[in-house]
Amino acid sequence: MKFNIDTLPVLFPYPRIYPEQYEYMCDLKRTLDAGGHCVLEMPSGTGKTVSLLSLIVAYQQHHPEKRKLIYCSRTMSEIEKALAELKALMKYRTEQLGYEEEFRGLGLTSRKNLCLHPSVKREKSGSVVDARCRSLTAGFVKEKKERGEDVEVCVYHDNLDLLEPHNLIPPGVWTLDGLLKYGEQQKLCPYFTARRMMPFCNVIIYSYHYLLDPKIAERVSKELSKDCIVVFDEAHNIDNVCIESLSIDLTEDSLRKATRGVNNLDRKITEMKSTDAEKLQNEYAKLVEGLREADEARNEDAFMSNPTLPDDLLKEAVPGNIRRAEHFVAFLKRFIEYLKTRMKVLHVISETPPSFLNHLKELTFIERKPLRFCAERLTSLVRTLELTNIEDYQPLQEVATFATLIATYETGFLLILEPFESETATVPNPILHFTCLDAAIAIQPVFDRFSSVIITSGTMSPLDMYPKMLNFGTVIQKSYTMTLARKSFLPMVVTRGSDQGVVSSGFQIRNDPSVVRNYGNLLTEFCKLTPDGVVVFFPSYLYMESIISMWQGMGILDVVWKYKLILVETPDSQETSLALETYRTACNNGRGAVLLCVARGKVSEGIDFDHHYGRTVLCIGVPFQYTESRILKARLEFLRETYRIKENEFLSFDAMRHAAQCLGRVLRGKDDYGIMVLADKRFQKKRSQLPKWIQQALEDRYSSLSVDQAAAAAKAFLREMSVPWTRAEQEGVSTWGPEDLARHKAKMEIEEIRRLEEEAINANGAIGDVVMEDEFGGDEFDDTVLAELDV
Amino acid sequence: MSRAAQRSGATPSKRLAEDGDICPVCKSSRYLNPNMRFLVNPECYHKMCESCVDRIFSHGPAPCPIAGCRRTLRKAKFRKQTFEDIQVEREVDIRRRMAKTFNRREDDFVSLLDYNDYLEKVENFTWNLINGVDIEETEKTIAAYAEENRREISRNESVAAQEAQSRKARAAEELELIRLRREDARREDELERREKADMRRGIINKLATTDGDAASIAREGQRVVLKKSLARRAAIDKQRDNDPFAASTENGEASSGLIFKGLKKWVPPAPEKPYDPFGGWSVENEYFVLQDHYDWDWLSQAQTDIRHTAGGYDVNDYCARALCEAFSGFGVFIEDEVAGRNVGSAPSIATAAAAVTGSEKPDVNMDDIF
Ligand code: SF4
Ligand SMILES: [Zn+2]
Ligand SMILES: [Zn+2]
Repeated sequence: MKFNIDTLPVLFPYPRIYPEQYEYMCDLKRTLDAGGHCVLEMPSGTGKTVSLLSLIVAYQQHHPEKRKLIYCSRTMSEIEKALAELKALMKYRTEQLGYEEEFRGLGLTSRKNLCLHPSVKREKSGSVVDARCRSLTAGFVKEKKERGEDVEVCVYHDNLDLLEPHNLIPPGVWTLDGLLKYGEQQKLCPYFTARRMMPFCNVIIYSYHYLLDPKIAERVSKELSKDCIVVFDEAHNIDNVCIESLSIDLTEDSLRKATRGVNNLDRKITEMKSTDAEKLQNEYAKLVEGLREADEARNEDAFMSNPTLPDDLLKEAVPGNIRRAEHFVAFLKRFIEYLKTRMKVLHVISETPPSFLNHLKELTFIERKPLRFCAERLTSLVRTLELTNIEDYQPLQEVATFATLIATYETGFLLILEPFESETATVPNPILHFTCLDAAIAIQPVFDRFSSVIITSGTMSPLDMYPKMLNFGTVIQKSYTMTLARKSFLPMVVTRGSDQGVVSSGFQIRNDPSVVRNYGNLLTEFCKLTPDGVVVFFPSYLYMESIISMWQGMGILDVVWKYKLILVETPDSQETSLALETYRTACNNGRGAVLLCVARGKVSEGIDFDHHYGRTVLCIGVPFQYTESRILKARLEFLRETYRIKENEFLSFDAMRHAAQCLGRVLRGKDDYGIMVLADKRFQKKRSQLPKWIQQALEDRYSSLSVDQAAAAAKAFLREMSVPWTRAEQEGVSTWGPEDLARHKAKMEIEEIRRLEEEAINANGAIGDVVMEDEFGGDEFDDTVLAELDV
Repeated sequence: MSRAAQRSGATPSKRLAEDGDICPVCKSSRYLNPNMRFLVNPECYHKMCESCVDRIFSHGPAPCPIAGCRRTLRKAKFRKQTFEDIQVEREVDIRRRMAKTFNRREDDFVSLLDYNDYLEKVENFTWNLINGVDIEETEKTIAAYAEENRREISRNESVAAQEAQSRKARAAEELELIRLRREDARREDELERREKADMRRGIINKLATTDGDAASIAREGQRVVLKKSLARRAAIDKQRDNDPFAASTENGEASSGLIFKGLKKWVPPAPEKPYDPFGGWSVENEYFVLQDHYDWDWLSQAQTDIRHTAGGYDVNDYCARALCEAFSGFGVFIEDEVAGRNVGSAPSIATAAAAVTGSEKPDVNMDDIF
């Protein structure tokens, strides 16, 4: 389908378009024109990705400056999906335009997914693959090879050097699979192809970390220009990604390993001194002059890069007392020993970085400045020593990262030492958390650097939370509703059991047998009436386990068993994927199954239950975070102090975004249908925090039901859904063909003209009767207030 | 950074095994005596258990019982080990001593490179001491340096102490501020809750007494509360923004020097000049020079006569005064002044005096202060 938005010709690879897609594209275009950031909430299953891509590609191709698109997504599967969409889009464009545009689109993921080296690719862990690859591709390895020494190299990597650096791969869109195939054919490393081609791409699709984690971003995303369009898709968890990218945990075990690493380094230095002292001397000379990696033009093989953000990098020479290799090693040893003594403390400590540094200085005479250079100095040393078994130094690297971070950031971070694993544990097993509290720190450079950052997801309500937490301004914040020809999903809030007893996962009553039984009834009812798959979400593993065992005792599971196969998610990802597979099989062969899982687990985030895989989703209890966690407490306090977000406000926002994610799992398109049940009394008040598209479908009469009422409503709904239904009925209402679009545009135009006319009239005469907008958006409140009244 | 903290299951047992070692002197192990504590003496850093220390050193200094170590140890010097690695323990002791002597700071140096060179040299000395290289020579240099730079060392010491103090004060202040803010937040929450309850009661009352539309009454009530809370929030925000919390001081790093190149010359601040009430205006005579001595018989007598000098009589004063009177009026042209006065805009004498005082050059007109 082909249409114009203002003057921009857009090619949309489907014959029909949803109204909300059109609106979404209009807003995107406005944002790009204005040059600013935006937050957009688009209902799940309405083709967000394809609208995004087709608009931005159209925009790129239409404008001469061809702004690059950086599309960030969360998981591998999402990246692959986006690449496939892009490929289809470009194919469609070629067909429509009649010629092939000069265009490159590439996806980038870790080496683990892209490696072709016969032995390296068989490694299980990503970091080992990285490390082994580095030891095959590092600059000095190549030098050695050239000198004629017998070293192992990777042919896939070396073949790349034979090609022109800007033309490693022909134009076009390359899915990850395509890239792998091409690499195998041409004997080229797909990973490095993608990395090196990034400056020459029109569209780059990769994971958040490549932009947010300073350790990676420094290496991968450094050269991207300012006018890039950055998109964070599925961004409802972006604050957590930001925080994680700057946080680090140390354990006794990792410290022990780090000590081993230091001792190894020490030995290596002594060795090198006797065989090749010149190299160390060279490094030393370079450090003295403060030459910063002048020769590292292509530092893609760097062992690690500085974990701090580019703005915070210290741009001066390495301090004198860690210039010599042996001094630096002693320095590291001392630091690790200090950390070990800290770990011996048997009570919880939470400490700010300045106070930590003070204590450190008192005890070990380590100053802040050399500490800041730790990561960089270590990288330089590792390179000088030409270490090949880099994976052994991982824990040491972690310690160095920690050192650099704690010496760089004074505020927004906290150090928490937890000596015991749990409240009841008696044997100490300490963890030192260095935790970032401020999500804005990691993402700030992105906002500063790129002129347009688009943050979008299916569930981002309340929208203004994100600009607040991440500390940026937006051009547009918008939440779209879902246009439906028939009501294809039924959200309900269940507040009572059939016996009128309140149901809630609230702390006081969560283990109350009557509450548990009511939840059990809810499950049995819905298992009885739902065809195919049922997905149940619990707030936590702990709670899920206790409920399941209680249900077992009450005989509820036996009843459920008669209707559905019961499967459970566990923290173990392999077990869970097996459970999922079984679940799918059971749904496919008609019996159906019920999957019990956790609202913050893997299933709730990445797995879609489209069509018969999920007809009902039950959200049992509000998925609040575990508030006793010290890290969370610290973060809450920080949010209140800095951004004036109250504890409850944040907790409830966080719970609701997870709940909404869970609900969104079952509705993956407009021809899909499903029932969404929120089973907790507290949901009633939190209704207004659901995404707009769910809110809009949640009728008042369904906002406080008992279990049997809900079951009756669900039955009626399913009966309605079973009426044969053709796509034709959606035409013009929830999907638009070209004519509908033209009609809509005409209507908009007329309205625009009318508005302008009215404005003109208003300006001419009556200035007095300007209608005051209701600043509180009155209608949002009345239901909740009334609902609260009957407490 | 992976957040997944891998707590390995084997850790706790390992930890026990590590700590449960045996006293090298009496061979008793922690396994038998769980309360056993190990002590070290910074003389030789040989580890032994508390009871051995009591036993051997209670009656005064004694040689170390460890074979091959003949050092004499005193009980008072024994202390608990801070670091697991005894090597590090020793190193830190050495560093403590070094840090006392070499406490130059970055601003003592002309350039960063010099400072870094200084740091490296110090590190080299420390390294020598730790690893027992050229100990004697190093010690000698260090002692000489300490002697030479006694003043700078103590100065830097006091600066460091001051810094530490102010840092401490700042930390305390910050803590207090945080506490206050936390309290504020709590109070605010409380207030809000109470208001909400009031509002609800109000609505119920209204619903009971009037017969308006329930929904609109509720909406009305809600709006009032929202407005209130918004206003309150704004007020609080404003108050917070005025926080006297702007003091952010640089965290300078302290450090130290031998005959280090690139050291900035330390210039003691110039002594403050005495206060000058005339703002630089001096009573220099333009028309005569006061001589030290005038050949004048009856005066020369007065100069030495004890009867005069005892009262404080000074012949020089007399001469000065006499000369001053003799020359007063010189350079004053009354006609000019009068003419100036007639023009009307002439400054009064007083303002003229002020103007003169302001300018550097003394005016003869005003010379006559007596
Ligand atoms: S260069 Fe590529 S193919 Fe070779 S080891 Fe590294 S990732 Fe694998
Ligand atoms: Zn003993
Ligand atoms: Zn001894």
